[in-house]
Amino acid sequence: MDILGQDKREVFGGRSNSQVGLLLFSLVSLILLLSSLYAAEASVFKKARETALEAASPVLTFVSGPIGWVRDRVGDVGDYFRVLDQNKALREENAALRQWEDEARSLRSVIAALEELDVYKAPPSAKPINAFVIGEANDAYAHSMIVNAGSKDGAAAGLAAIDERGMIGRLVDVSANASRILLLNDIQSRIPVFVEGSFVEGLLVGRSTSNPTIAITMLANGDRIEPGQQVITSGAGGVLPRGLAVGVVSKVTEKEATVELSADYARTRLVRIINYDFPQVVETEAETPAEEPAEKVAPASQPAPPAAQPAPVVSQPVEARPQAAAATPPPEPVVTTQEPAAIVAPPAADEGD
Amino acid sequence: MSSRAENLARVARAATPTLLGIFGAVMLASPLRLFQGSLPTPLIPLVVVYFWSLYSPGHLPAASIFAIGIIQDLLSGGPLGLWPAIYLTVQYIAISQQSYFLGREVHVVWMGFAVAAMSVSVILWLFMSLFSGALLPIGGLVLQMLTTIAVYPIFAIVFGSLHRRVVIEV
Repeated sequence: MDILGQDKREVFGGRSNSQVGLLLFSLVSLILLLSSLYAAEASVFKKARETALEAASPVLTFVSGPIGWVRDRVGDVGDYFRVLDQNKALREENAALRQWEDEARSLRSVIAALEELDVYKAPPSAKPINAFVIGEANDAYAHSMIVNAGSKDGAAAGLAAIDERGMIGRLVDVSANASRILLLNDIQSRIPVFVEGSFVEGLLVGRSTSNPTIAITMLANGDRIEPGQQVITSGAGGVLPRGLAVGVVSKVTEKEATVELSADYARTRLVRIINYDFPQVVETEAETPAEEPAEKVAPASQPAPPAAQPAPVVSQPVEARPQAAAATPPPEPVVTTQEPAAIVAPPAADEGD
Repeated sequence: MSSRAENLARVARAATPTLLGIFGAVMLASPLRLFQGSLPTPLIPLVVVYFWSLYSPGHLPAASIFAIGIIQDLLSGGPLGLWPAIYLTVQYIAISQQSYFLGREVHVVWMGFAVAAMSVSVILWLFMSLFSGALLPIGGLVLQMLTTIAVYPIFAIVFGSLHRRVVIEV
């Protein structure tokens, strides 16, 4: 008892060995730091992070509840002042969405016709896992979020996470009941993307700024990335599904294109983890490597790899295509020859394995 | 029995700075998003470490600081050992300048905190740039440090009264 009582001053009040302790622990943290410099993904560190995640998730859930409540109230107050602007913006967005709705309806009839064909194989549907954001790294150089879904819910490292606006990142650490999402703007984030309109495949690299960039390594003649073009996940590498909305190109320089993300990390509260079974290529090309996420199909078409001719997205005569396909059913996946209507995207045939 | 409970209470009181630091680390991992995310969460553990290292280093031993930093590292998913190193550096700065700062006016101590925060920012930036292999932008870091420096006086007042009323037994 003396250790806890009378000698407390020596433990929590003494000064005698504070210098020694300081030196000792500085040394320990330096060694840790150096080892994580060389082996950041060492299994020991990963295990420690996952354990900490699991241990902290109830605490974070407990803390994030009131925070969310307060933020909702404060957010509401802000909304009252901006209600006119928001109304205007929403009306414009509504008009734009109505056009998309018309197009989606016509595309749906095309797809229905395509699905009648014998050669058509339905893509495996993605099963999204819904999760709430219970934590995030408020660190200048670490950009991640902690959500309350883990391996028990079917989450696994590498899966994509989206919110209602677009892709936010991918899962890195997964414990039983919680997982960490590495956001797209983290310096460690690398996501294969595709720029619509310019048919450029690239790697989206986090820069620790609010907007990541696409590293441009090589452009074929005539390929031009221009501001305003949509960026979607390309599905290259076979980890992420193709077609998740990522953002819009906002600035282009010689070496990189800055992408303004669709996701707004300050507003992300509910995320969906896309648990997507990649279709295995069983035989040569009997399988359609389709990569359509259930709900986040990017607005424009999903064209074939860069070599394809830049087919205008909207203006295709949609009725002609299924008939043509029905008349001469090609041996290959049907959709491969039908770029504009190809919600079921073809391209992974040469890149996705 | 009663003496045991008393002892426990004493230890809990003496461990208040450590618990505050851990609480600060948890707050850093919570989606606080002040002003719709436009203001970064202040680094409360940094204030805790500086404050108690200056006024009563015995109440915040290096082991506690190490624990606070490791918890922050584990929660943020960054390289392990980074925040312990930074907080221990702050403690070193505070302890080494203790004789200068003690008894000075509040704003001098505040300036000292600003200097300490800025020097560890440089270390943080250098290491993270080394870690990622590219020169990283400093905007976010500077904003976070400025926020922390700006809220320092408020926390210093709170911690001061907490120290007098809770940590040191009445």
